Amino acid sequence: MRTVFLFQESSSLPYTLRKRLPRKLPKRRNDVYVNMKTDFRAQLARCQKLLEGGGHREICVHGLGLAINRAINIALQLQASSQGALQLAANTSTVELVDDLEPEDPDEAGEPMTRTRNNSAIHIKVFYPDAQ
Amino acid sequence: MCPVYQSQAYNNAGQPGGVNNVSRPVKPEPLPVPPPALKLGQEGFKKVCRTEEDSPCPFPGLSSGVLEMRVKEGSKIRNLMGFAMARMQGEKGVSGVNSSGGGLRQVVFTGSGRAVTKTITCAEIMKRKVGCLHQLTKLRYKVVKEVWESTEGGTSEMTVHRTVPSISILLSKDPLDPQEPGYQPPETLSALWEEREGTEPATASKRSLGPLQYTSFPDCKRVCLGEGASVLPPH
Repeated sequence: MRTVFLFQESSSLPYTLRKRLPRKLPKRRNDVYVNMKTDFRAQLARCQKLLEGGGHREICVHGLGLAINRAINIALQLQASSQGALQLAANTSTVELVDDLEPEDPDEAGEPMTRTRNNSAIHIKVFYPDAQ
Repeated sequence: MCPVYQSQAYNNAGQPGGVNNVSRPVKPEPLPVPPPALKLGQEGFKKVCRTEEDSPCPFPGLSSGVLEMRVKEGSKIRNLMGFAMARMQGEKGVSGVNSSGGGLRQVVFTGSGRAVTKTITCAEIMKRKVGCLHQLTKLRYKVVKEVWESTEGGTSEMTVHRTVPSISILLSKDPLDPQEPGYQPPETLSALWEEREGTEPATASKRSLGPLQYTSFPDCKRVCLGEGASVLPPH
């Protein structure tokens, strides 16, 4: 939650910036969405369990914004610990995010607004190459 | 051979990296063998040098006339994109974005560590602006050698090898091998999501934090300490 000041028609009103969650994305059993709140090791262990115990031949690791680095780290760690058995195929994309701007003081003449911005994302397929 | 545009706002020596360089009343002398993942900046050490070890080009068989953009943490996207767009669009620049006239055919964006996000953003902006670009993305670890020097008058010096994730993105106006892992055809802005079928509800998976089989995390540092006199030639 952040307070922003909008400069419009000579009056600046305080607004609260509320970041909406990213657009709902497909979630298969072998999709892993990496975030920065969960412990790194836990997310890595989860990927390993999917590949080793879960019997998946490929998993897809997604990271958005700051979590891109962590997603790459997880994918590279998986590859390194597999002694070269795993391969990586990375794709990048742009994700549109929406922020809500709500006036802090409801009495003031301010309307709730939305603002869109873009953020980069990465999608790394971690797979055993002999799958096909 | 490749024209390299290196945009770096400041020297590495003065770079405010991830390590706290503020001198604090800390332990008077550094430990002889510091444990891994040590907070170096708090032990009275200052980073004096940072070199990236040369790694082969991740795209074999690339022609020599490729523009390589090395994205750094402090690079400004407007500087990078201003340069790269002008080169890709040729001398005329402003006129005709998709004109098949002048301009380079391929560009590579590389970045490591905290510059990875910026690297992807640059590639995404270029894809959107130029259009019809084939993309090939490669990930790998890059070894960075850092030399740390004691700030407390001593001559002790440490060399740290750290591995940081790095990304290389090749954008090409000419078609690339679609069988190559990491290939992305042009205009997959939204198709990336729609091709995913079979959406299942998220299953709450229990976290089992078993012991991991490996110990080398990317944030860990391998530390070798030069005793007293500097082992390595000063840079």
